[in-house]
Amino acid sequence: MKLSALEKNGVVVLEPKGKIMGGPDATILHDKLHEFIENGKKKVVIDMAKVEWMNSTGLGILISGLITLRNNRGELRLANVTGKIQSLLTITKLITAFEAFDSVEDAVKSFQD
Amino acid sequence: MLQPALFFRMESKMKKPTIIGNSIRIPSSQDYLVDIDSFLEGILRGYGMGESTIADIAISVTEIVNNSIIHGNKSDIRKEVSVSIAKRNSEIEITITDQGEGFDPTAVENPVEDKNLMREVGRGIFIVKSLMDSVTIDAKKHKGTQVILTKRI
Repeated sequence: MKLSALEKNGVVVLEPKGKIMGGPDATILHDKLHEFIENGKKKVVIDMAKVEWMNSTGLGILISGLITLRNNRGELRLANVTGKIQSLLTITKLITAFEAFDSVEDAVKSFQD
Repeated sequence: MLQPALFFRMESKMKKPTIIGNSIRIPSSQDYLVDIDSFLEGILRGYGMGESTIADIAISVTEIVNNSIIHGNKSDIRKEVSVSIAKRNSEIEITITDQGEGFDPTAVENPVEDKNLMREVGRGIFIVKSLMDSVTIDAKKHKGTQVILTKRI
């Protein structure tokens, strides 16, 4: 997995790319989130458009991010969840834990509403 | 701290992924998951399988290999995890074997119960069972764990 980040209207947008399967993947996102939290940036959108698939390690990373941000009075939202990941979120019932939006723009806008 | 000469000898003895036919063996490190994924994709594409089915199999196999590395072989780099693929008529059979003490990966709480929903771990086998057509686990004390997955094609 590769990870890039940008900011839109005060919201951090993280763009993971590739497959999230375990090992080094787990620390990359965790470290990035903590870096933003330490800089006072706690509104985060993860753009899933370029994630091919993930296994339970990837789901654990998303949950860890959500909990970390909420514990720091922040929030994590998802955008562009693709078919394979959508079905994993559904069968694990995690779809109920995350707010997901059809586009990054909608997810960013939701923080301003 | 290790003497440089000793460190070099240990490094040079470290195992690498080994592919023989439709089988791959990796040392017990998650750094080699990408090798497992590449190996699977190459073979399954050769069978003419679609991307969605390949993804289901890759997700499931990396789940089991993660378990084998962490819970089976306890991340002991000297121990290996092997994955082999066989095509039988209308199904693919994948066998994953570790060299650990034998563990039962199904001995976890139901991950979709409300009290477990926000746990970061414990949903791997649940996902594998939902993506594969059959999952057979043979955990032998001191003789490792063997998991056989099948997927109809």
